[in-house]
Amino acid sequence: MQNLGLLAPEIALSLLGLGLMLADILAPAKSSKLLYHFAWVAAAVALALIARGLSVSGGLPLPVSGGLWVVDPMSQFFKLAVLLSVIMTVMLCLEYGQLPPAQAGTFCALLIFSTVGMMLLVSATDMLLVFVALELISISSFVLTGFERRNRKSNEGAIKYFLFGAFSSAIMVYGISLYYGATGTTRLVDPQSAGLWLPALQTKSPVFTLAMLFILLGFGFKAAMAPMHFWVPDAYEGAPLPVAAFLSVAPKIATIGVLARVYMVLVPAASLGFTTLLALLAMLTMTVGNTVALFQDNVKRLLAYSSIAQAGYILIGIVAGTALGIQGVLLYSLVYVAMNLGAFAVVQAVGDNGSRDGLGSYELAAFDGLAQRSLSLALFMTAFLLSLAGLPPLAGFIGKFYLFAAALSAGRSASGGISPAVFYGLAVVGVLNSVVSVYYYMKIAYHMFFLPANSGKGERLPSKDGGPLPAALHAGPYLYGCLAVALAGVLYFGIYPDPLIANVQLSVPHLP
Amino acid sequence: MRMLEHVYLIPLIPLVASFIILLAAPEDPHSPMPLVGIAAIGWCLIQSVAIFYGAVIGSIHIPYQMDWSWFSFGATIGGKPFLYDMPIGVLIDGAAVVMLVVVCLVSFLVQVYSLGYMHGDPHFKRYYAYLSFFTAAMLGLVVSSNLLVTFCCWELVGFSSYILIGFWFERAEPAYAAKKAFITTKLGDLGLYVALLLIFSLVGSFQIPQIAQFVAQGYMPAGAATAIGLGLLCGAAGKSAQFPLFIWLPDAMEGPTPVSALIHAATMVAAGIYLVAKCYFIYAASPIAMFAVAWAGALTALLAATMAVVCYDIKRVLAFSTVSQLGFMMCALGCWGYTAGLFHLTTHAAFKALLFLCAGSVIHAVHTNDMRQMGNLSKKMPFTALATFVGTCAITGIPFLSGWYSKDMILEQVYEYDPHLFFILALSAVLTAFYMFRLVFLTFTGTERDLERYRHAHESPWTMTVPLGILAALSIFSGAYLSHNHLFERLVHFDPPAGLMPRMNVAPPGLGGIVFAAVACAILFSYRLYGRHDFRLAEDLKRRLAPVFNLLERRYYLDDSFLALVDLGDRTAKMAFWIDSEVIDRIFVDGWDLLAQLAAQLGQLFDALFIDRMVDETGGLSVSVGGALRWLIRRGMIQEYLLWTAAVLSTLAFLIAWR
Repeated sequence: MQNLGLLAPEIALSLLGLGLMLADILAPAKSSKLLYHFAWVAAAVALALIARGLSVSGGLPLPVSGGLWVVDPMSQFFKLAVLLSVIMTVMLCLEYGQLPPAQAGTFCALLIFSTVGMMLLVSATDMLLVFVALELISISSFVLTGFERRNRKSNEGAIKYFLFGAFSSAIMVYGISLYYGATGTTRLVDPQSAGLWLPALQTKSPVFTLAMLFILLGFGFKAAMAPMHFWVPDAYEGAPLPVAAFLSVAPKIATIGVLARVYMVLVPAASLGFTTLLALLAMLTMTVGNTVALFQDNVKRLLAYSSIAQAGYILIGIVAGTALGIQGVLLYSLVYVAMNLGAFAVVQAVGDNGSRDGLGSYELAAFDGLAQRSLSLALFMTAFLLSLAGLPPLAGFIGKFYLFAAALSAGRSASGGISPAVFYGLAVVGVLNSVVSVYYYMKIAYHMFFLPANSGKGERLPSKDGGPLPAALHAGPYLYGCLAVALAGVLYFGIYPDPLIANVQLSVPHLP
Repeated sequence: MRMLEHVYLIPLIPLVASFIILLAAPEDPHSPMPLVGIAAIGWCLIQSVAIFYGAVIGSIHIPYQMDWSWFSFGATIGGKPFLYDMPIGVLIDGAAVVMLVVVCLVSFLVQVYSLGYMHGDPHFKRYYAYLSFFTAAMLGLVVSSNLLVTFCCWELVGFSSYILIGFWFERAEPAYAAKKAFITTKLGDLGLYVALLLIFSLVGSFQIPQIAQFVAQGYMPAGAATAIGLGLLCGAAGKSAQFPLFIWLPDAMEGPTPVSALIHAATMVAAGIYLVAKCYFIYAASPIAMFAVAWAGALTALLAATMAVVCYDIKRVLAFSTVSQLGFMMCALGCWGYTAGLFHLTTHAAFKALLFLCAGSVIHAVHTNDMRQMGNLSKKMPFTALATFVGTCAITGIPFLSGWYSKDMILEQVYEYDPHLFFILALSAVLTAFYMFRLVFLTFTGTERDLERYRHAHESPWTMTVPLGILAALSIFSGAYLSHNHLFERLVHFDPPAGLMPRMNVAPPGLGGIVFAAVACAILFSYRLYGRHDFRLAEDLKRRLAPVFNLLERRYYLDDSFLALVDLGDRTAKMAFWIDSEVIDRIFVDGWDLLAQLAAQLGQLFDALFIDRMVDETGGLSVSVGGALRWLIRRGMIQEYLLWTAAVLSTLAFLIAWR
């Protein structure tokens, strides 16, 4: 019981989520904005609690609580990242016009519960807890995706997401049952010694291996890893934009967190003989994401494929399996939150604005001449896209550099029957994919800067020949705040990454 | 007044004055700026005379040395770090004291004289800037204790000479003469440069006292001393117009006459003599170098004197005379006559400047240099004629005039050292008497040969005659004053190191009398030939001795051989250029160009066929892969999604289980 205090952030956030549901009943519909403010304050409270816990413990390894979950610097790092992304998501919601005001409380509560699920997920060391947390995330997300009830796309995305989620949950549960069958427990750590019990595991037994494969694919569903990525574009396209932004970031990095914990620390992929398999999946994920993105005309779908590809890059760190790999995963996860949420924020400013004055949509054509309509938004977008493509001096470059360097150093020290070619090949494919990605990222920039603005009906608006200039695009203060925070992160960590790297390096030695 | 402590001001004041004159006022034929230059050199003269006076009465102690740190640099010699220190400073010994007075005095008088002579010249102001600049460089050369600084000033003096000879550069002859003078002296400077390098590599310092100490302690090998001595002699021969580099000096007479008086008679050409005197300790260590100095001087004295005999250009006669007299000094130095050489330098400065300024006065009056168009000018310009007569007497060595003292001293010294050299010099002295009186007779006596010019001739203004008077007085009295109580010898002397005493012949008493008798005969002969109204005897003599006359008029073909040498150099350079541009460039430059073009073509081919292709194919591949993958899920059917997932899952499970 004395360790229950370690769960304080999760408990507090859950209670605040319940409070939100209560407030939804009490608050009048026209003051629904208040509920969003309640939501981000709740997330901020949890954030503060975690930060306080970190400063109190002073970076020492925190005790494992009864074997169900663990609180260590890595889990706290991911929780902070998730909470940051949820706060930014709520900011986007404040500016988003398509959500029904009457259900604002429900929406916020679901967002918060989903966040609680993620926080539990990154701390979990028990298969059942993992599954419960995953379901908490999934079920909240299904509802959030279908929240625009009048929008057919939204409903379609939600249904597809749900069906696919149910399917992958089944696979995962099957994997967990096999795991239980092979080991006789659902724990991932030894409850007695509070340490690894890997030597006792029958790592070479086919049942155990199969179990880990199914579990991996279950995680793959949430992380949008090929071949479990099919739902991503449909769900993102249909989901309200803040939800799509949230889904592309928070559950993904939370799942990456648990993947890193399970397949790098507790049951290393190398000991299962999964290195080559994981490398293949990473290559496949990157390649599918990047090459299919080349054809997308809808910016939401384009960013959906882009986020698949980004997950592939992060997988490189997990394949490497070294300390450097973990550092790369952590680093890239945080950077990814900033740049991806920033990009989605600009998309919201363009697309949602369009639904008000009939000028815009999420089509690529809506970005034509954005530089004329709002130069600042165009410049913000360019920065985020360049960072996603991994160009210096932006943070995306630092992250990718770390991941590729991890693969190369793993290749140099490869042993135990794993060919170094796997790692080198992975790095090469990663670099090639980065090159391909520049094409479609810069395609957006091309539309923004080099094409004249057009009307929603496909007619070119007169812009230079003395006609009226296309309507200037205005975005609200919360959106700009969100953009500013994201840009600050992208620029600051790109130019001066030392503090981030130092923190990331500190969290590695404390892993169990 | 602490004149000696502030001796460094002497070169600096004219330098500043020259820049003020050059920059502070617009060009104007009647510009008052020359007064700045005259004031500056006037102060220098006062300071120099004060130092001289102090040295004479013994109130200041010479040699005086003062150094300021200039720069230093580190070097590694034989693995050991070593710090070279390069000070800049002044070294005032007896010779420098005398030279300061000579340079300042002549420069001052010449600048006053030029007020009249150059009046109304379009570049009046610039002329004074150049004169001041020359004076500054010359004074710097005199006072410096550092041979490197001396060398810099040496070159600046040469440069000033160049711009002043070519002052009327609009005309072709001065421009050519300036070029010739500059290039010829540069040839000599090559030797000086090598000597300086040798000195620094051996001693590690340019400070004259340190070098002297180095030599005195016997560290300097005899061979090195000889090489350095010959190198210095080479430089001195260029600057002081010694055999065989004297060819430039007669041509240098194209410059304004006051410039000739200042630079090419009294001061700059004496710089070579002064340099040899300054480095005399090196010659003391090398009998061979000493011997070379003596013979170069003697040869120069004789050859120049013979050439002067047949010359009709009044200034060229004086130029050859200058060369000859410089040869006397050089020869004296080469015969251990340190004091005698410098004494002659001092007296010569006075009477040769006087003669040049007189010649200038004449030219100013009749606007020609050719003595054949003059004659009987003493009627028109008696003062100039009188001054010229005084100067001529002084240079000829009429007793109790300044030249008599110094020339006598040289002849005596040379006879003691080597009688052969004595005879050469004595012959030169006799020739000198002949041609100098020839000049006087042709110019000032006889009948007027060009009535037009004669009618326009007039006496010069006071700015020109006053300097003449002062110089004439000095030509008469300076010798007596300086030799009184061995004043000059006490001031300027060189103590040869023990064991290196030169061999001695005892000069017979009456030697001076015999020489004077010969000189008197020469004067009479000159009068017989040129002093009367008809020149039949001279013409007759000229016809009979035509080959000799031709040889002398052609200047022993030295000019021609030198020009042939230059021409050869020119041809060689042209050929080298042809080889460079037509052969080397064609093969090694254009050839590389072709090769590079070929390589570039190949590279471009490789680029187009391979690299670009690869890039295109990569792009194409991504598009095809993307297209194929997209086709799989194009229809958005969830059943198909799940089917694909299940298929992959089963495959993977199968593979894993099969393993």
